[in-house]
Amino acid sequence: MTTRAAFLGRIRDEMAKTRGLFPATTAERPARPRERLEVLRRELIERWPQSLERFRAEFERVGGVFHRARPGDVPALLARICRERDARSVVTWDAAELGIDAGPVLASAGVDVHAMPRAVPSAPERQRLREVIAHADVGVTGVDLAIAETGTLVMRSAAGRPRSTSLLPPCHVALFERGALVETLAQVGIALEAWHDGAAADTEGAVINFITGPSRTADIELTLTRGVHGPKEVHAIFVDHD
Amino acid sequence: MSEPLITTPLRERAQQALGDRFLHEALDIATTKFIGLRREAFGEFPDGERLRDRARDIKEATLQRLDEHLERLIDNVERRGGHVHFAATADEARDIILDIARRTGARMAVKSKSMATEEIHLNEALAAAGVMPVETDLGEYIIQLAHERPSHIIAPAIHKTKGQVAELFARELKREVAADPEVLTRIARAELREKFLEADLGITGANFAVADTGTVVLVTNEGNGRMVTSLPRVHVAVMGVEKVVPSMTDLMVFLSVLAKSATGQKLSVYTTLIQGPRRPQELEGPDEFHLVLLDNGRIAQIAGTLREALYCLRCGACLNVCPVYRQIGGHAYGYTYPGPIGILLTAMLNGPRSVKELSHASSLCGACADACPVRIDIPRMLIELRKEVDETKLAPWPERVVFKAFAWLIRQPPLYRLGGPLGRLLQRPFVRAGRIGTLPLFFGHWTRTRDLPPVAARTFQERWAALEREQP
Repeated sequence: MTTRAAFLGRIRDEMAKTRGLFPATTAERPARPRERLEVLRRELIERWPQSLERFRAEFERVGGVFHRARPGDVPALLARICRERDARSVVTWDAAELGIDAGPVLASAGVDVHAMPRAVPSAPERQRLREVIAHADVGVTGVDLAIAETGTLVMRSAAGRPRSTSLLPPCHVALFERGALVETLAQVGIALEAWHDGAAADTEGAVINFITGPSRTADIELTLTRGVHGPKEVHAIFVDHD
Repeated sequence: MSEPLITTPLRERAQQALGDRFLHEALDIATTKFIGLRREAFGEFPDGERLRDRARDIKEATLQRLDEHLERLIDNVERRGGHVHFAATADEARDIILDIARRTGARMAVKSKSMATEEIHLNEALAAAGVMPVETDLGEYIIQLAHERPSHIIAPAIHKTKGQVAELFARELKREVAADPEVLTRIARAELREKFLEADLGITGANFAVADTGTVVLVTNEGNGRMVTSLPRVHVAVMGVEKVVPSMTDLMVFLSVLAKSATGQKLSVYTTLIQGPRRPQELEGPDEFHLVLLDNGRIAQIAGTLREALYCLRCGACLNVCPVYRQIGGHAYGYTYPGPIGILLTAMLNGPRSVKELSHASSLCGACADACPVRIDIPRMLIELRKEVDETKLAPWPERVVFKAFAWLIRQPPLYRLGGPLGRLLQRPFVRAGRIGTLPLFFGHWTRTRDLPPVAARTFQERWAALEREQP
């Protein structure tokens, strides 16, 4: 087996042979990413209505369904989405992670609600919860960033925020607020740099997902088909605090 | 060298492809559609050209410090609890993965689409070791059922009709299946969902890996990449060393151009950033994460003629615009990677000898370089390869003699000038409608598949001389 030293040694040997290379530079990282992100957030909050409009247009273009609701109306909206799809079972992120507890309203609408715990689960409990998510009809998550330019939802996995909530159920509903809106992919780069800045980054979850519309394929005669492995439907609810 | 020996010559493979009417139609529809979608995507993205330049620059800058970026990547993956392995050859890569499979007692491996694992012929090795490999990208699943290889980097089954797919599914499931893409997709979803939940091992490639953070990045549209990296208890990612990018800021530049070039989407549906195994407080994710760094001919090109091919993002844009690919499709190339970039990658993996014929399967029109998101100068490297092929005497001898003679002739101006009138005389019996369509003897090999332009009635030199006489 090749060792790390031998492998990198071969690379260095070849690099030493190169001649007459063009000067080239990588992208410039922000020097203090967290401060840069704070400044960006303050700038973005001024322009959020335009960002939201752009997000809505792009999100709908990739096949997403956009909603806008006041915080108090969100549980009823979720219940309506469930009713329209005959959903029996709903899996949600932990209520504290979502910022909204829709449990009682959904339960009174006759839906089984499974909120994912923040506590460290035991191995058998993990297996059981995986089955619950795999058999749920709707998955409800929060959102860390909503990218206006591309209509993309970005979410980090963590305790109480299982990654497959947005993957296994055939319908995914994501809740977001104005603070999540960014305009461009370059701005997402600043957020990613900030999230990975310092030791705290290591305690976060292991996955960051960018989701741009429902799962799709065009592998058979280029016919666009939705919901091949992931959700067939993706809803984004803008929670309006005004 | 792990590629199977190709027994039929390229000419015959191409001939066969040209005779396949369905293939022709499918290729034409698919490539035309991809070209249009790509043009549209860049059309409404004013920053596109600048970002392509940036992406190219970042690739070159990364190569210039490749050792440092890889060191950082390795350290960060390990810091997050992942394991990194080093594979100099395809054989070594397969052994590493089989070893992981054996140690973890894996019986079934679900795979998300990956050219790197195609390149090392992993599926055959897994099956031989008693681990059932299941391709989960719909296109890859179809060609796995058909025991074929991908014919396009991003649309592996474009050569299949829905009828053929329905037959494959019917054979597999032993029941009637309607030839409707919607129905076929639903069946694949149900079949593969069980496999995702059952498999022990998830195997992926990597579109990028971020050195600063130890992050492996997967881009998919179907969501199978997410399944494969979330549900099985072990995840193995295989990546060529050139896929490393320094920072998250760099990554965003590549994400801005990748999907637009591949399918005309602003972003693919899923971009998944994976940083090691499941954290203790998390509900899901693999218990083990392995990253296999693959050389397999790449490292030798850091200072080689094919250096620029190490920029490649595997988007497939050069295939769609290539007049040769559009006529013969991916299988006729005969190796894992088809199309213009595929010729370069084949030479990288298997040596220049392997592309003796393939290096000529290009008109050098330059459409590939125009379409490439990182502006790889593919035609220049194809010419270099042709030169290498000639230098090592791989071209047929009559061709070599004719070109040697021509090379000598153009260095003798008086003789060369005689060539004009002499050529006009000799070609007289063969010119039909301003073209030379057939030549006698072994010269006929040249004109069998193309016309030879005749010597002009007045050559450039003759006209130039006349002009000088008119205007002293």
